[in-house]
Amino acid sequence: MIAEVLVLGTVVGGIWALVASGFSLIFGVARILNFAHGVLFILGAYFTISLNSVLSNFFGKLSLVLSIFLSILLVGFIGLLIYWILLAPIKEYEIMIMLITLALALLVNELILLTFKDISISVPTLIPGKVEILGIPLTYTRIFALLSALSLLIALELFIRKTRIGKSILAVSQDKEAAMLIGINVDRIYSLSMFISAVFAAFGGILYAQIYAVNPETALRVLIYAFAIVILGGLGNVRGSIFAAFIIGYLQVLTSLTLGARWIEIVAMVIIILILIIRPKGLFGVET
Amino acid sequence: MHALRILLLIIVVVALLGCTMPEKKEEVIKIGIIGPMETKYGIAMKRAAELAAKKINEEGGILGKKIEIVVADTKFNPDVATAEFRRLAQDEKVKVVIGGFSSGIALNMIEVMAETRTLWLGDASSPRLTDKVAQDYEHYKYFFRIVVTNASTFPLDMIEMLDNYLNKELGLNLKKVAIIRDDALWTDDVMKKFKPLLEERGFEIVMDEKVPRGTEDFSAILLEAQKKADVIVPILAHVRGDTLLKQWHDMKIKKLIAGHDLSAIDPDFWNATDGKCFGEIYLADGGAVPTPINEKMVEFINMYEREFGTLPEAYSAYGVYDAVFIYKAAVEMASKDGVKDPFDPDVLVKYLEKFNESNPFESTRGKIAFTKNHDLLWGDEFIRNYVCQWQEGKQVILYPKNKATGEFVKPEWL
Repeated sequence: MIAEVLVLGTVVGGIWALVASGFSLIFGVARILNFAHGVLFILGAYFTISLNSVLSNFFGKLSLVLSIFLSILLVGFIGLLIYWILLAPIKEYEIMIMLITLALALLVNELILLTFKDISISVPTLIPGKVEILGIPLTYTRIFALLSALSLLIALELFIRKTRIGKSILAVSQDKEAAMLIGINVDRIYSLSMFISAVFAAFGGILYAQIYAVNPETALRVLIYAFAIVILGGLGNVRGSIFAAFIIGYLQVLTSLTLGARWIEIVAMVIIILILIIRPKGLFGVET
Repeated sequence: MHALRILLLIIVVVALLGCTMPEKKEEVIKIGIIGPMETKYGIAMKRAAELAAKKINEEGGILGKKIEIVVADTKFNPDVATAEFRRLAQDEKVKVVIGGFSSGIALNMIEVMAETRTLWLGDASSPRLTDKVAQDYEHYKYFFRIVVTNASTFPLDMIEMLDNYLNKELGLNLKKVAIIRDDALWTDDVMKKFKPLLEERGFEIVMDEKVPRGTEDFSAILLEAQKKADVIVPILAHVRGDTLLKQWHDMKIKKLIAGHDLSAIDPDFWNATDGKCFGEIYLADGGAVPTPINEKMVEFINMYEREFGTLPEAYSAYGVYDAVFIYKAAVEMASKDGVKDPFDPDVLVKYLEKFNESNPFESTRGKIAFTKNHDLLWGDEFIRNYVCQWQEGKQVILYPKNKATGEFVKPEWL
């Protein structure tokens, strides 16, 4: 059982880390609690299969890679639009932001239901095949998912710590007014964070749909996980979220093996409530 | 004289038109179709009903009246479903409701049915529905299960599949069973009967895993099943099997999947799983797979393909199509007997009950006969679930022998 938890939990933890770091980033930087994050996650997968069905007529095997790339950009751009049109005018009002992103999430969910109906969709496998690790069959798709998630997370870390604009993101998240005073364009930083957040969500969704499948209901479930993870890791703390994502990944597999699949979300909810009562700032505290 | 005749003719024509025009509304019989319309189960219901209506209307309608289909969407939600059933019964004044899907929701709708005294030819498998007919006949007699068989017959099909077919006929010697089932009312009903049957025939249930609707990750469950069991038996209708099959194939799980997986009946399942369902054994409700088992079936499939450019998307198409025709037959029988109002639900209950073991109705899926509690009669000669397998893009019937269209094929990694 330990082998299963370690092997399967690490992969799913990697995907959750992508999702939660984006969710945490935009909250940490712009205090935007984005209820539409789960929707951005599934949109990545829906755009990929739609684009792929069109592009496969022209590009053959390459079409899937191209569709994944285009979908991620498209969702990133949608993230920008959401910020520019809906959130920027009300960015001082956190409650309004929550309400408007929630309404948006419900709206997009209904639109997906109308277009794709209530069925699960999968993104085709990029690399077929599997290896056995600790006696557990691990598909190349899962290994690819874990490696690409980790590389993106490392890239984000390097970007924030090493580049000038990355440091500006950090500065804004620490003190918005001070950042403004030293000439950082806060609006631009917000937009950039929203773009990164959406791109991470979309990529997470695509990886998830390659291994499993997504349907309109997935959006809500992903949002619950994202909440559980960022609360566990400390709201706004990206590094904390990444650690917490793996903890949730392992717990998810462990719950499924011991209590049963129906308990996974219940466990996630219990974690949210317990952490809020016992340690509201999360396991790793909030980075300031 | 000649002019007088013409004048008379004109008067008669005008009088006739005058009589018929305002009453044109009365010439229509409304049939309500209810189901989760955003899913393929609902879409197939709606399309099959429209097809049946079109065919009947072209041939003169029911007692000269044209059928009009009114669609209601349950949105897979009991509150919406009951409100929609009420709308059909009271606002739309439909003569009969056809459809359903999900026993949990159907058990809510049946109360509105009883209250509004609406005839309902239903799609839901829980025995609790027809138990109500048995317990309080006068109140619940308007319910007839027609689209699927009673969930209490699925265990009979499954035990025949596991014991008679896979073990005795193919000699696979499967003893330890891992069950993966919907976290829903209907599978509890199935298990009540399936568990003792399995034990009786020497099987051992080593896993009984309930999965909620929308479950996407089966990997841990599959690995555990591989370790503990000889065969994986899904009992799934609300949870779609394609995700399960995809992970089963990708991880090359070394145990056969054989059970009741509703989504596997759909003809697009091969594409939906990218061919990864190859080797899955599943039950198809009374020939609700596009196979030429009789002339009516062939005619229906051809019409469906012509009209919608696809095979029926889901099992529900066959049952709903049959339901419209069985309703027509009951009304016509009542009218032939000189009943005053052949559309009266109380009258039609009596006439639908006449389709019994000795006087079955010939449908696309074979002979339909009702039990005294308004269930479909189960058996080789009547409606039963065939054991099928997905092979190279094709659905092959393996069992019973008299309906088989091919032989069992073993996936190479097993």
